Amino acid sequence: MKLNIDGLLVYFPYDYIYPEQYSYMLELKRTLDAKGHGVLEMPSGTGKTISLLSLIVAYQKAYPLDVTKLIYCSRTVPEIEKVVEELKKLMEFYEKMTGEKQNFLALALSSRKNLCVHPEVSSLRFGKDVDGKCHSMTASYIRSRKQQNPGVQLCRFYEEFEALGRQVPLTAGIFNLDDLKAFGRQKGWCPYFLARYSILHANIVIYSYHYLLDPKIADLVSKELAKKSVIVFDEAHNIDNVCIDSMSVNITRRTLDRTQSNIETLQSTIQKIKETDAAKLREEYSQLVQGLKEANVARETDVYLSNPVLPDEILQEAVPGSIRTAEHFVGFLKRLLEYLKSRLRIQHVVQESPPQFLKDIYEKVCIDRKPLRFCSERLRSLLRTLEIADIADFSAVTLISNFATLVSTYSKGFTIIIEPFEDKTPTIANPVLHFSCMDSSIAIKPVFERFQSVVITSGTLSPLDIYPKILDFHPVTMASFTMTLARTCLCPLIVGRGNDQVAISSKFETREDIAVIRNYGNLLSEMSAIVPDGIVAFFTSYQYMENIVASWYEQGILENIQRNKLIFIETQDAAETSMALEKYQEACENGRGAILLSVARGKVSEGIDFVHHFGRAVIMFGVPYVYTQSRILKARLEYLRDQFQIRENDFLTFDAMRHAAQCVGRVIRGKTDYGLMIFADKRYSRSDKRGKLPRWIQEHISDGSLNLTIDETVQLSKHFLREMAQPFRKEDQLGLSLLTLEQLQSEEMLKKITQIAHQV
Amino acid sequence: MDEEPERAKRWEGEFERTWELLVEDESGSLKPSVEDILFKAKRKRVIESQGQIRLGMMRHMYIVLDASRTMEDQDLKPNRLTSTLKLLEFFVEEYFDQNPISQLGIIATKNKRAEKLTDLAGNPKKHIEALKRAVDTTCSGEPSLYNSLSLAMQNLKHMPGHTSREVLVIFSSLTTCDPANIYDLIKTLKSTKIRVSIIGLSAEVRVCTVLARETGGTYHVILDESHFKELLMYHVKPPPASSSSECSLIRMGFPQHTLVSISDQDSKPSFSMAHLDSTVGPGLTLGGYYCPQCKAKYSELPVECKVCGLTLVSAPHLARSFHHLFPLDAFKEIPLEEHQGERFCEGCQGDLKEQNVYICPSCESVFCMECDLFIHDTLHCCPSCVHSQP
Repeated sequence: MKLNIDGLLVYFPYDYIYPEQYSYMLELKRTLDAKGHGVLEMPSGTGKTISLLSLIVAYQKAYPLDVTKLIYCSRTVPEIEKVVEELKKLMEFYEKMTGEKQNFLALALSSRKNLCVHPEVSSLRFGKDVDGKCHSMTASYIRSRKQQNPGVQLCRFYEEFEALGRQVPLTAGIFNLDDLKAFGRQKGWCPYFLARYSILHANIVIYSYHYLLDPKIADLVSKELAKKSVIVFDEAHNIDNVCIDSMSVNITRRTLDRTQSNIETLQSTIQKIKETDAAKLREEYSQLVQGLKEANVARETDVYLSNPVLPDEILQEAVPGSIRTAEHFVGFLKRLLEYLKSRLRIQHVVQESPPQFLKDIYEKVCIDRKPLRFCSERLRSLLRTLEIADIADFSAVTLISNFATLVSTYSKGFTIIIEPFEDKTPTIANPVLHFSCMDSSIAIKPVFERFQSVVITSGTLSPLDIYPKILDFHPVTMASFTMTLARTCLCPLIVGRGNDQVAISSKFETREDIAVIRNYGNLLSEMSAIVPDGIVAFFTSYQYMENIVASWYEQGILENIQRNKLIFIETQDAAETSMALEKYQEACENGRGAILLSVARGKVSEGIDFVHHFGRAVIMFGVPYVYTQSRILKARLEYLRDQFQIRENDFLTFDAMRHAAQCVGRVIRGKTDYGLMIFADKRYSRSDKRGKLPRWIQEHISDGSLNLTIDETVQLSKHFLREMAQPFRKEDQLGLSLLTLEQLQSEEMLKKITQIAHQV
Repeated sequence: MDEEPERAKRWEGEFERTWELLVEDESGSLKPSVEDILFKAKRKRVIESQGQIRLGMMRHMYIVLDASRTMEDQDLKPNRLTSTLKLLEFFVEEYFDQNPISQLGIIATKNKRAEKLTDLAGNPKKHIEALKRAVDTTCSGEPSLYNSLSLAMQNLKHMPGHTSREVLVIFSSLTTCDPANIYDLIKTLKSTKIRVSIIGLSAEVRVCTVLARETGGTYHVILDESHFKELLMYHVKPPPASSSSECSLIRMGFPQHTLVSISDQDSKPSFSMAHLDSTVGPGLTLGGYYCPQCKAKYSELPVECKVCGLTLVSAPHLARSFHHLFPLDAFKEIPLEEHQGERFCEGCQGDLKEQNVYICPSCESVFCMECDLFIHDTLHCCPSCVHSQP
């Protein structure tokens, strides 16, 4: 259908539209009009992706000068593929309606591992190996060596691409990863480099977060993207953690040992080169004297996305003399390494700020701040000069040099924590140096500054106002949308007491209480008797799950549950978990029924959807607070309090509730789906917790469903499940939660739609 | 249809939140009361089953009764088993009333096994007896859909092609314990054209949804006892005869019942053919129905002659099944405001108060919804049409 969104003609590839999609597009349009950033929360399964794509594509077509590019960031490869599928539908619709071929290029980009077509390289199992092997066949000096030595093996796909591919841009069309591979095979071009090259002139790019947020990768891939782009971060509820992870460094003893061997290799290579080709080293030296001026020129003309690892000031300076020659630099690295080794040889926990660390390193081994800042650039240059093909082997020394640059660059927003052992195993020495980023805005700042509109969206972003605070930006729109439903297909219940009236809660004081554990067991066993097919249960941590399951076993509760359903458990081992998941789905499919015990913040809670019968109920045992005794967390909380005026408790609750919402949100994946959401903790009844749930869940929590006993829960659930099992057809939805174009245009409906969006 | 199904006593019902039902629905979307949906579904069923759809006349149906642990649940009073058996008795009677030349059998499943309670037969008495006896069975273990369906299939697959082959499962449990992959069995069921319909007593189970969808049956879940009864009654009406089923002329015999008195010297007691292979039941009887073709004796009708394969029925049976071939047209539904003329129902003479009225397309008489359902479900002819005919 063709829609009129606030004066903009939008092609929407379906015959029906959900009211909230219309509302979502209105808000999105306002964001784009204002050329600002937006935070939008819309429940999963209500067609967020297609609304986004339809509107932005229409906007691009209407105002080609204002918005030149859409960059759609998603988390996983399957999600990326899904987006491309929707986009294909949209483009087909465009072609059908306008009757002409669209001049529109969209493509997905992923790692080499997913795109490589080289028969040998693509058969490697790990991404790291693929990258390394690819590099050893395509690096510029390897290719130049070919001229002297014809025995060098090169990648013919890359050669072909270099020879021909760059002149002819990719033809218009929508390419997912498989399409790219097929195209690459057909032409004999390397799909990965083709895609990386083509994103510069593509209208839509779909790739993973890391290509924008991780400074090391963003620098390579995304720095030349146009300023007038719209960036969308989908499933962005964890975006602050992604930012933090991309800037943090952990150093263990193993890393140091590997660095040691790296440095030795460097040294011997330098020795060799010196004997054969001393001119090369001299050339590098003179380049370094000139400084990194060229990079600076590029940045000033605003062509590049700035790299937070490499701050502007560095570019204006020449590399300091002490590390200009290769031998000196290696010596410098050695000293740094020895210093780090000595720091790891401790008995007690140390926490210090970067300035303290710098002071200490100066006193102990006379390393100044300045050479430290140039460390990572210098290493890169050296590796280039030494023509070391297999970069993968040098990950350890690269890590150390990144750390050195970061620690000397940022005096704020970071902390260094050295722990001699893990908290759980105080007797085993396993020293770790955490260089941890506490300010998620650092990594994402260049993105906000560079691009015209950045949209952060997800099914669970509540409370919305915290994201602008922790990411430090000013959105022009912040809205949360509800789910219009023809039948209430979600049933959130808060269980606060057992049948014996003992309050159930996972809070620290009572979590070992036998009565609480028993009541949790009873809840699960009662639910397993009345919920059909699949139940997913989430615990707050692996440890807590182990404890509870062990004592259920002793009390014989487990046996009771197993009479009704099979039990599967998520473990920290990925292979084991995916096996359990597969068997779980099989059991749901053939009528045996199953329970999956898993952990909030685990793999299951984040990436896996439990549509229809795979999840008829989800039980959240306890409030999934993060492990509060962690020093990194404590430091971050302190920082948030000092810098952003966010109280510790507020942040912890926010974090716990967003994970809880993520977990329970797994069961509802659309309007025809239905599921029970059971919050088994007394504390959920409190308004400070409840108020932080997404609005589309919150509005279905009535006062009558607070603080229930297990019996009441069972009664309500039984009733709900029977009601939901009644036949439900499309006609029942039409006009209420599913609209035709005529219905959409009625006065009354437009008025209703304005109420769907809830502005913050 | 004489008694309005008795609602459960207030205190026996579900934990109700009556105050919530009163919540005025401002957005127009929340809580469309389930009754409303049910009403529509009910009405829909009438419309769906009408039209000139030829319905099957001869049916072979197995009822699979879940007798697993969950049947002891007390959400139906006094418990699921007793309540189900009571309703089934009623169902069996209705079934034979509406489909006199059809046959029925009962299978019970528990402890992962399936056992036959009664064989396929056309006599309601035997089934009702079996159902009465079943009240005392203990419910235990888990049911097995696979075992019960394959048992039903073994019996049904030899039935002639012009009859319908059906299985009705009353499924109380939420799980099934199967010896093999049930999806293979579903494929076989589909290829042997056995329709499986399911009535769930607790909640929607995935495997049942697939089973019903694949085999062309229906799947419903009960809300309460009266809804349960309604769903059961839905299966009284024969399913549409599929176009692929054979439709040839069928030879039928109409044997007459010969009564012989003991005093008659010529009479000799003889075995009924139907009892030859079953060990129970009466042995020697005097009178009975004699097959007009081979003179084999049967004590009950309808039956397929064991000797010559002739279908034996009685004339009234056939007459009563006949209306399925020529169903009454659906009545036109129009809102009350648009209706001009009579303000009372032609059937019950009551005032028309509901939103919609129903008009017979041939004689233009007006009926209320209740009468409309009654006419289509039970009478099968429009009373005022019949009345106006000379």
